[in-house]
Amino acid sequence: MFQKPLKESAESREPKIILVGSPNVGKSVLFNALTGAYTTVSNYPGTSVEVSRGHATINGCRYQVLDTPGMYSLMPITEEERVARNMLFSESAHVVVHILDARNIERMLPMTIQLIESGLPVVLAVNIMDEAERVGMAIDIPLLQEKLGVPVIGAAFARKRGFEELYRAIDGFDPSVRASFGYAPDLERDINLLTEQMQGEYLVDKRSLALLLMQRDEDIHRQVMAVEGERYAGIEKSVSAIVFDRRADLHLRISLERKHVCRGLLDGVISQHTGRRTPFAEKLSTLCMRPLTGLPILLVALYFGLYEFVGGFGAGTLVDFLEGTLFEEHLNPWAESLGADYLRWEWLRELVVGEYGIFTLGIRYAVAIILPIVGTFFIAFSIIEDTGYFPRLALLVDRIFKWFGLSGRAVIPMVLGFGCDTMATMVTRTLESVRERIIATVLLALAIPCSAQLGVIMALLSEVPGALVIWTACIVMVFLLIGLLASRLMPGEQPMFYMEIPPLRLPQFRNVLVKTLTRMHWYFLEIFPLFIIASVLLWAGKISGLMDGLIRLMEPVMIALGLPLQTAAVFILGFFRRDFGAAGLYDMQTSGMLTPVQLTVAAVTLTLFVPCVAQFLMMQKERGWKVSLLIFLFVTGFAFAFGCLLNYVLLEAGVLA
Amino acid sequence: MKCGMCHREIPERLPDAASRCGSCPGGCRKVHCPYCGYANPVMPKYLKKLVSKKSDDGRE
Repeated sequence: MFQKPLKESAESREPKIILVGSPNVGKSVLFNALTGAYTTVSNYPGTSVEVSRGHATINGCRYQVLDTPGMYSLMPITEEERVARNMLFSESAHVVVHILDARNIERMLPMTIQLIESGLPVVLAVNIMDEAERVGMAIDIPLLQEKLGVPVIGAAFARKRGFEELYRAIDGFDPSVRASFGYAPDLERDINLLTEQMQGEYLVDKRSLALLLMQRDEDIHRQVMAVEGERYAGIEKSVSAIVFDRRADLHLRISLERKHVCRGLLDGVISQHTGRRTPFAEKLSTLCMRPLTGLPILLVALYFGLYEFVGGFGAGTLVDFLEGTLFEEHLNPWAESLGADYLRWEWLRELVVGEYGIFTLGIRYAVAIILPIVGTFFIAFSIIEDTGYFPRLALLVDRIFKWFGLSGRAVIPMVLGFGCDTMATMVTRTLESVRERIIATVLLALAIPCSAQLGVIMALLSEVPGALVIWTACIVMVFLLIGLLASRLMPGEQPMFYMEIPPLRLPQFRNVLVKTLTRMHWYFLEIFPLFIIASVLLWAGKISGLMDGLIRLMEPVMIALGLPLQTAAVFILGFFRRDFGAAGLYDMQTSGMLTPVQLTVAAVTLTLFVPCVAQFLMMQKERGWKVSLLIFLFVTGFAFAFGCLLNYVLLEAGVLA
Repeated sequence: MKCGMCHREIPERLPDAASRCGSCPGGCRKVHCPYCGYANPVMPKYLKKLVSKKSDDGRE
């Protein structure tokens, strides 16, 4: 990475211009404008990442132009970013043109700092200036150039603006002029310690290498080892000591330091045109993240998104029509009459159109109950997702989650848990410590209902005044109580959380439509065969008497919960698939088998009840047998104990009577 | 594709067999964002045709 090739071809002797930047900032527009029609696209050696090369002649000098894959920082995460960094660090560029989006200059400028820090010959192209100006944003390019110490040009390459300035900057580039950016004294001390130990020759500035070493960049460690030889052991020892000392917040500190530098650089550089107020999206974004205003906004989003739209429209209006009118009044009687006419064997008739029949139960549950509920949930979810609200939610709940030993990062598995707890359990692996992963797994297994379960429960309980309030209070209380207990039982360090916040925007119809259809497509393909299999198993259980045996086995628990014996089947189904169990509860309620107290107790217990088979298997995979079995037993015992207690309290207090 | 959580551009590569959750019958259909870990659903082929290509300068 750090050494020039021994033999250079005529082409490799040409000065190189490397284009670098985040995706969708206009790199390819500039590349095409510079190089014209004659370009080559080839895989970067040893990877499947494509790299474009071409040539440009500027003021009579022929340059080789390289378009790198999109990258967000010099600390690579994807293969594309690794390739882009390798190109930057090994190609000995005459000029590296960093292209950024003027509208997102605050988010993208930290990478400019990294590039300059690395000693690369940077020219900064602030692109899409026309759009920024349209929203009243003014960027003082000469002032930014003065502060950065590298050539800066304002451009709108798609509108053919800024090319002349860029050509002049490339042609007259002076590599001797370079600014340096200082960090806090303690961080500077660590950087200096490492740079003093590095005595080899590098094409990249040692300060940049020191920061990457501290962030445990494996590629950089390998390269430094190759250059330093025996001295590497000492460097590694120093890095380990620094990483250990700063184990709680190293990445956060470095990011915040760069943000601090960028804020200083942009001070006085960006301004809004007089007469234009702060954009509404920016104001709303700030309000979403402040506890006093953020919590009411969250409640409004939940009320309209989940309660009114999913619970009221999806689980009410749509299910009433599909289940009550279409299936109960038309399709089921028609199927039953066909079955009576053509299916001579009793067992076969039962299998297809009986109580647990493939058509009368499996298809009806999937199409008439679950699909409309999940469909409306996915619409609401996709709208909220597309606005960019979730990262703000993560920052909002960060301080609450810290009480549980979690950080705002845990919002990702929690939010995904409302879609599917199994997948969310897997995502807990993105949390930093084992402690956080276990706490998040317990909370997912216990207190986060999946989308279909949530929709059905909302629809059922919204018809009984007060029931939904009790259910919500119980689930929130359990979530807080178990979270607090878990963090006390498993003490550990307070996790740090930092996340880049994308701009808040109006949801785009196309995005919402595509995301909703994608999720519904895969969800329906997933549940449809499972619901058919479930109805066959139920039919087999009924024929063989096994189902009755299981129900009798659960009889004492049902009595303690104050529930009809048939509710046992709902819990058994719930273990098979959470949504199947919820649909069973819906069936019981619409048949008038449950009192308001029984409905509330059943809904709370079913929500807290054990994770479904798939989630349990995922828990075992992620946490191992011992932890997953402990969680399983705890959740089962807790759910039934809590249900019994709730039944007792509601009956004694005469609530919902 | 763009991540639904952090809105960063991510490569549309499904995870290798070892890192799949295995909960979807018929195979994995989720791309986990390498930056934030969020699970993004993979668009079915028929939907891909409906989505027009985005220009490189970030404009629709």
